[in-house]
Amino acid sequence: MSVLCPEIPTPGFSFENCKRNAVLETKGFALPKAVKTGTTIVGITYKDGVILGADTRATEDTTVADKNSEKIHYLAPNMYCCGAGTAADTEMTTQMISSQLELHKLYTNRVARVCTANQLLKQYLFRYQGYVGAALILGGVDVEGPHLYMIYPHGSSDKLPYGTMGSGSLAAIAVFESRWRPDLEEQEGVQLVRDAIAAGIFNDLGSGSNIDLCVIRKGSVDYKRTFDEANKKGVKQASYRYPRGATSVLSTRVVDIEEVAVQRIEPERMEIA
Amino acid sequence: MSILAYNGGAMVAMKGENCVSIATDRRFGIQAQTIATNFEKVFQMGPHLYVGLPGLATDTQTVMEKLRFRKNLYELKENRLMSPKVFAAMLSNLLYEKRFGPFFVEPVVAGLMPKTYEPYICNMDLIGCINPPNDFVVGGTASAQLYGMCEALWEPNLGPEDLFETTSQALINAFDRDAISGWGATVYIIEKDKVTIKNLKTRMD
Amino acid sequence: MSLADICNISDYDSNRGTKNDFHQMCTNFTSNMSLGVPPFANAVANIGNMAKDDSGRSIKINFDHGTTTLGFMYKGGVVLAVDSRATGGQFIGSQTMKKIVEINDFLLGTLAGGAADCVYWDRVLAKQCRMYELRNRERISVAAASKLMANMVYNYKGMGLSMGMMLAGWDKRGPQLYYVDSDGTRTPGKVFSVGSGSIYAMGVLDSGYKWDLTDDEAYDLGRRSIYHATHRDAYSGGIVRVYHMKETGWVHIDNNDCNDLHYKYKAEKEDLENTII
Repeated sequence: MSVLCPEIPTPGFSFENCKRNAVLETKGFALPKAVKTGTTIVGITYKDGVILGADTRATEDTTVADKNSEKIHYLAPNMYCCGAGTAADTEMTTQMISSQLELHKLYTNRVARVCTANQLLKQYLFRYQGYVGAALILGGVDVEGPHLYMIYPHGSSDKLPYGTMGSGSLAAIAVFESRWRPDLEEQEGVQLVRDAIAAGIFNDLGSGSNIDLCVIRKGSVDYKRTFDEANKKGVKQASYRYPRGATSVLSTRVVDIEEVAVQRIEPERMEIA
Repeated sequence: MSILAYNGGAMVAMKGENCVSIATDRRFGIQAQTIATNFEKVFQMGPHLYVGLPGLATDTQTVMEKLRFRKNLYELKENRLMSPKVFAAMLSNLLYEKRFGPFFVEPVVAGLMPKTYEPYICNMDLIGCINPPNDFVVGGTASAQLYGMCEALWEPNLGPEDLFETTSQALINAFDRDAISGWGATVYIIEKDKVTIKNLKTRMD
Repeated sequence: MSLADICNISDYDSNRGTKNDFHQMCTNFTSNMSLGVPPFANAVANIGNMAKDDSGRSIKINFDHGTTTLGFMYKGGVVLAVDSRATGGQFIGSQTMKKIVEINDFLLGTLAGGAADCVYWDRVLAKQCRMYELRNRERISVAAASKLMANMVYNYKGMGLSMGMMLAGWDKRGPQLYYVDSDGTRTPGKVFSVGSGSIYAMGVLDSGYKWDLTDDEAYDLGRRSIYHATHRDAYSGGIVRVYHMKETGWVHIDNNDCNDLHYKYKAEKEDLENTII
């Protein structure tokens, strides 16, 4: 660490608060819970590629923290990844692997393969022994064709034709087990994935809100954010708006903001005479 | 009891028509004992950018200083202001770095995007999972009550005056049902050409 | 066909007798002083295990808690003042709770601690006091009433009852003030303050207390003490209720919202500062 920039952190996790937090825990202060996705995520392979699906509810204990969370994460132009588990872990893990894949692509001058992403993800998760709580469904199409991987928090993975994860996985897999077959048409596949997510949304309390879909074909991707609103919110019949002046104010301060014009300073040549 | 509830504090931010609001209570307490009623939890990070850090007071201040440092370095290096979106990403990364030994804050970011002046709000959990909705975000010990108030009161396209009433009433009525937040409130209404900061008259028990 | 027939228990009544069931499951209908105690040996030591689930985590029982109450004797009798907030954990369940119980015309009790415990045992006490009156053709003394209370709760010592109460009254021997709690403590005294905000209330009360207070001064002292406690203590607040125990029985003086009191006292303080300058 440089003396000039003592705050620029070293890469990787920092454990400097751990001791303090452990002490606080022994004093009887419960450690707060992080936001979980509490999710239904699914993926299938069909005739020309893969289809990923996810619900959009994120929960903090029993509270719905996010009603429209984005759980299908971008990895590479030909790959997307659904995440279940601790929301921050799925988000950060996929972001990090995405950047590694981009560098890999630039280095090799080739479209990254899905098996590469799988390997990167599982090795990363294995290193943290399940403490990075991310359960992922990785889908993509490369030179070898469509691929679908399930990746578990401890670092194991499966290559499957269809699969589900998250708290709603049982409801969703039931739909697949009864209706999935090889070489589905795209239309059929989309309908099947929609129904599987809907099953999760309606039968699992941890899943809810909307259905996101992502269809990955060879050479093209169709990301359908909010493909279907499974639960439409009722429209308010009247307004609860407070009249102006309802709140009593003790003091008011107004800070004017002036438009700051940024002046471009042209570099001058150093005098060397 | 949770560490997040050691000092108490409630916070809410809302989107309006070309404006955003962020509001917080003023209490600093140690469990049941109210120590001060003029505690700052919302910090200015730019002309149109505010961040609220409800949670453990010691971490509120530590995180604020770390953020200000990183933001200043960014602005010196880039010679431009930090946008709320970038700021949120930076804060998220700062928190996630401490994934296994977190700071006990649940941040709320509110601001206007540079140039477009488009409203931006988001909140995070204590390890930096960003949640950027298009209505409102809440944080702190009265968050359950705040969710209820905001779901009822918020409506789209509120102007600055109505946004002030909505935000203030949501906050006041929420923390009146929470023992460890309240004791005064401050509301910031952020518009293109000005920021209005109002201290509210509230219950002091 | 009746429900009992469908359930195949039409002979239920004859076999066991519902009367018996009532007696066993609702003992405190007939005998107020016996609560259902868990059916295992050494209940005092083992009752703590009941509050744990299968995995050993403690089951959260957030019963209403947290209070500021005070009472003091002066030349004009006894003044009681209380707040009105009921909290379950950090959630404010009520801002309008009545924490002074009017046991009879010459006896008042204050509640602090577990709200259900206080309300229940105060009602049992009220019944006992009335029974005493009917049996003996005179009102019960405060000393006797407080002893009844102390004895009743002492039977459940260590089993989780939580209450700290003051009993104020006027009997043959004049004005009386007693403190009774769930540990079994019972003590007479001149100045008491009970509850989570009691330390703050006591600070104000002690600095302003003297025997020769006028009635209005006494009410104001009680009111201010409770108000300042509600300001500092998170678990006290709402309304300040003031009662006065006189020779002729208790009188409810007034109720004041803490919010009004805060801004009233603030204005008074500012006025005072201005006049001094």
